[in-house]
Amino acid sequence: MNFIGEIKFLVGAEKRLIDVLDEAQILPLFKSAVKAGIEFAAVVDDKNVPLWTLGPCPPASVVGEENWDARCKLLLEGEPVGAVCLRRGQVNPHGCEMMAHLIGDALNSIMANNLKRMLTTEIHTRVVNQSYDELRESHRQLIESEKKYRDLAENLELRVQERTEELKRAYARLLQQEKMVSVGQLAAGVAHEINNPNGYILSNLNTLRKYVGRMTSMLEYYRGLHEAAGSEKWRELKLDVVLGDVDELLDQSVSGAQKVKQIVSAFKGFSHVDDMGVSAVDINHEIDRTLGVLSGEMPGDTRIIKEFGVLPAFEGNGALLCQVFLNLFRNAFQARSEGLQLIITTEHEDDTLRIRFSDNGPGVPDEIHGRIFEPFFTTRDVGHGTGLGLTIAYDIVNGYGGTIEVENSKKGGAVFLIQLPATGRTDGQVR
Amino acid sequence: MIEFDEWEKRMVLKLVYYGPAMSGKTTNLLMLHDLLQQEGRGDLMVLDTKDDRTIYFDLLPFFLVAPSGLRIKLKVYTVPGQVKHDATRKAVLQRADGVAFIADSQVSETSNNFNSFQNLEKNLGFVGLDIEQVPLVVQFNKRDLDRIVAEEEIRRVWDPSGIPVFMSSALYGTGVLETFVHLADRTYAYVDSRYGLAENHGLDKQMFLAQLVRRKTDHA
Repeated sequence: MNFIGEIKFLVGAEKRLIDVLDEAQILPLFKSAVKAGIEFAAVVDDKNVPLWTLGPCPPASVVGEENWDARCKLLLEGEPVGAVCLRRGQVNPHGCEMMAHLIGDALNSIMANNLKRMLTTEIHTRVVNQSYDELRESHRQLIESEKKYRDLAENLELRVQERTEELKRAYARLLQQEKMVSVGQLAAGVAHEINNPNGYILSNLNTLRKYVGRMTSMLEYYRGLHEAAGSEKWRELKLDVVLGDVDELLDQSVSGAQKVKQIVSAFKGFSHVDDMGVSAVDINHEIDRTLGVLSGEMPGDTRIIKEFGVLPAFEGNGALLCQVFLNLFRNAFQARSEGLQLIITTEHEDDTLRIRFSDNGPGVPDEIHGRIFEPFFTTRDVGHGTGLGLTIAYDIVNGYGGTIEVENSKKGGAVFLIQLPATGRTDGQVR
Repeated sequence: MIEFDEWEKRMVLKLVYYGPAMSGKTTNLLMLHDLLQQEGRGDLMVLDTKDDRTIYFDLLPFFLVAPSGLRIKLKVYTVPGQVKHDATRKAVLQRADGVAFIADSQVSETSNNFNSFQNLEKNLGFVGLDIEQVPLVVQFNKRDLDRIVAEEEIRRVWDPSGIPVFMSSALYGTGVLETFVHLADRTYAYVDSRYGLAENHGLDKQMFLAQLVRRKTDHA
């Protein structure tokens, strides 16, 4: 079996004589020997082949062991690996023998030291390299685990943000639901409480008009009976003017009561107390309805321009859509309190319903453009805005698979654009 | 992992003295050096130490020649016992042909012995050796001290493993040769089974041990 080529020692590989000795270490010793009269000095290997020599070059025939006057074995780790050989020249045999041992001991000691140095270097290098490799490995692992933890930390932040957002929206939704319920209940209660008295006010006014007619006839009859006195009293009481005014008063009262009736009806319709589920909704009608409820909030000189297109019925919840419009209207009313002009456009194109609210207010400042749909974001003073109006609108539209965007028009003012899928969605629930 | 070069007729064997810090590995080698004749061995080489603690290794080389002319060098190494020198231990343990585990008998050192033995097992695996295969002997050193684990207790723990255990006081030279001879014996058996030392090279176990262990006459 032959392991040559396969064996790789990390430390302690076998050394040869020429590995652990060199000329510079031998020559000074040999030179001293030659100076002392030695004719020829050599270090030979274990096969008696000269490795280093000093003195006249010996013929090949003198290589053999018998040609030397004195030898001293060189041992590497206890193994004979060569010898120091001397030809005595002028030195006596005993002196030559002593010199051979002297040089031999010196070289053995040099070899041992060289070997020790080499082993130390080998093990040191080996350990340093291995430690370096291990350090690199642990460095790599550290980087890896650091990356893992960093990812985790980053994700964590993201997750917390997501959850916070969700919570805010859930809270907004809750508020909205509560409001809807109370608005609905209020609407139902108010409608009932107002409609009844308003009903007999209207009915009585009509009856009163009839009665007034009869009384007028009676007054005119009396005046005819007492021509002189009657006419004077008639003038004194300005009955011409009064009778002329009564009709107008009654007309105005009737139309006022009718207006009350309308408002109550719009309010009830807006709150959809009778209809909280999904049904076919006429969006144009819902916009009108919302506007009806808001007549009180609307600044007096507001101009509302409706450019309604023909829209297909939208499968959805009218109450929710009214909420969207209500919040957009309010937003516009608050954007400009005098001279507000609001153009509402609806159109149907392909599979999309577009509803556009364009006002002539100051528009949305760039720095808050990205935030206005965020829950609780408001630019109004404390107590004047919940910061939920546009959030609710956003959530409702989103729930129907639609989008709501805002941009500033070139003429100034904000344009809110709602796009809804024309079919609507029966599962259109607020997220 | 015997290094064997048939062409050059050389074989290099490597024995490693392993064990916890201060258990007496270097002392074992020093004593071997003192107890054995100069012939057939080199000098003990103690690589640099710090405060008498081995930081690299110690090396005691032996050299013998089989009747066939096969030249065998057997190198006995110690490893540094301190935990921090694990890289050095791995490097020295590489290609070991036999291991002597030098344990410290003191009761207080029990866990250090255990950890070091685990470390040996781990590092043997690291350099591709199987602790079940490598010739292994265990020496419980410092028997001359008080507060040591009783021999019966040691035997009770180790005998089931089949690993030979020796009691020693390396400082006084007892048990040192015994440990070495048994390790050499086991290593011979291992090498012989693979390379036929007796059959191919005419070197039987008695000759092998006799060449390796030449007691100085004044110690005999």
